[in-house]
Amino acid sequence: MTDGNGYESTSQPDAATPSAVFCIEAVLFLSPRPVALSTILQVTALSEEEARAAISELKERYSPRYCGIVLREVAGGLQFVTNSLCSALVERFREEARPAPLSGAAHEVLSCVLYLGPLTRAAINAARGVNSDAVVRNLLDRNLLTEAGRDQTSPGAPALLDVTEDFLLAAGARDREDFPTLEEIVEPAEISRVRERIKGQESEHPRMDEPIRDPEGG
Amino acid sequence: MSTIQPGGRATGRALSAFTIDLDVYSGPYEGLLALILKDELEIFEVPLRELVTLYRNTNPPTPPGETPGVLERDTDFVDSATSLVLLKGRALAPAHEPDGEEDDEGPSAQDLEERLVTYLKIKRGADALAERLAHNACLYPSAHALPPRPGSLRLSKDRLAKSLRRAIARTAEPGVSHLGQITVTVQELAALIRASLLHGPLSFEDLIRDMDRLRSAVAFSAALSLAAEGRLTLSQTEPFGPLTLTPGK
Repeated sequence: MTDGNGYESTSQPDAATPSAVFCIEAVLFLSPRPVALSTILQVTALSEEEARAAISELKERYSPRYCGIVLREVAGGLQFVTNSLCSALVERFREEARPAPLSGAAHEVLSCVLYLGPLTRAAINAARGVNSDAVVRNLLDRNLLTEAGRDQTSPGAPALLDVTEDFLLAAGARDREDFPTLEEIVEPAEISRVRERIKGQESEHPRMDEPIRDPEGG
Repeated sequence: MSTIQPGGRATGRALSAFTIDLDVYSGPYEGLLALILKDELEIFEVPLRELVTLYRNTNPPTPPGETPGVLERDTDFVDSATSLVLLKGRALAPAHEPDGEEDDEGPSAQDLEERLVTYLKIKRGADALAERLAHNACLYPSAHALPPRPGSLRLSKDRLAKSLRRAIARTAEPGVSHLGQITVTVQELAALIRASLLHGPLSFEDLIRDMDRLRSAVAFSAALSLAAEGRLTLSQTEPFGPLTLTPGK
């Protein structure tokens, strides 16, 4: 069946009982945070099958091709956001500039924690080879990282850092698995080049793993 | 992305007129320095190369002696910029953590290789992440904020009265029975110091020669207070050396 806007629709307005699509649409409209399917089921009293069918219809209706509002699956839930094509207009309307992007160092720390984490601050420093404490502090302030437990195997049981729901929201990811693996991102040829370059250095300086000694002092 | 402020292109002016527009800060250069020194802006966020390029673009080289003050301004900039480089270097340097054999002999070639490969992966992951975050930064969620339900605003009179009592009640005075009787005050000893200084500079050791420990400590506190007010000057030629009190001007 096609409604007046040309969309395939299984839901028809009914004055007495709103359809599943209407119910879920209303709940999502009201929430600025993603709404989990379990919450939708609880609030709407729909069966999971009904809810999934309605969500599927909503996704089609609120696809970026048709609408200024887009339904996306993010951070374990569903959320309405404005279409990226309208971002300039939204920013003008709200009289707000887009937040300044994170620094390269911040992206590296997030990448460390996302792919190797949860990690301690010391492990992040070791992975990057530079002190990252200030960057970590900044990311904690922005609620993109959080302390998620303690590393009981290390002296002093330092805090383990992990990414947050806000990070998943900012990245538009459903969960941690919604990111490509490092193996998919890095070309094997690039890794081989690095290994070869290091081996080349090693052959040029065979004693690089020994302390440098004063040639005269011995 | 950085831009040069239109008003910034003039040679021979003071460094205070140098304005910058970076992603992390926009405004006078000296303001940037102040924010960094107050820890209100992280030094690692400031792109120093971009900053130097901005300065060079804003202040193109001029023949020596043509514009007065240029050398001083450039020197000031180089001085502050090198300090920023030093600060950033220190901020980024990993803390020294002795790690068994590695600390003595340095990382092995194999260890170094693994570290570099891991870093390469992290770096590429960060690049992909940056792209993803940038794409999602232009998606805005609903700005609806649910107002509190009227029911949750309803307060009982008793609860309100209790909250009010708690808000306006004075906290109990802390007990002071464990303290001895106050026998000397800073004001008394400040008066004594001021009177002694009428005859000229005074050695602190001479001042407290006949005082007990409590009076000596209070006398030192009084001397510090008077110094802070500019009524006297404290001088000490060497650490732990004699302390001399000189009347203020």
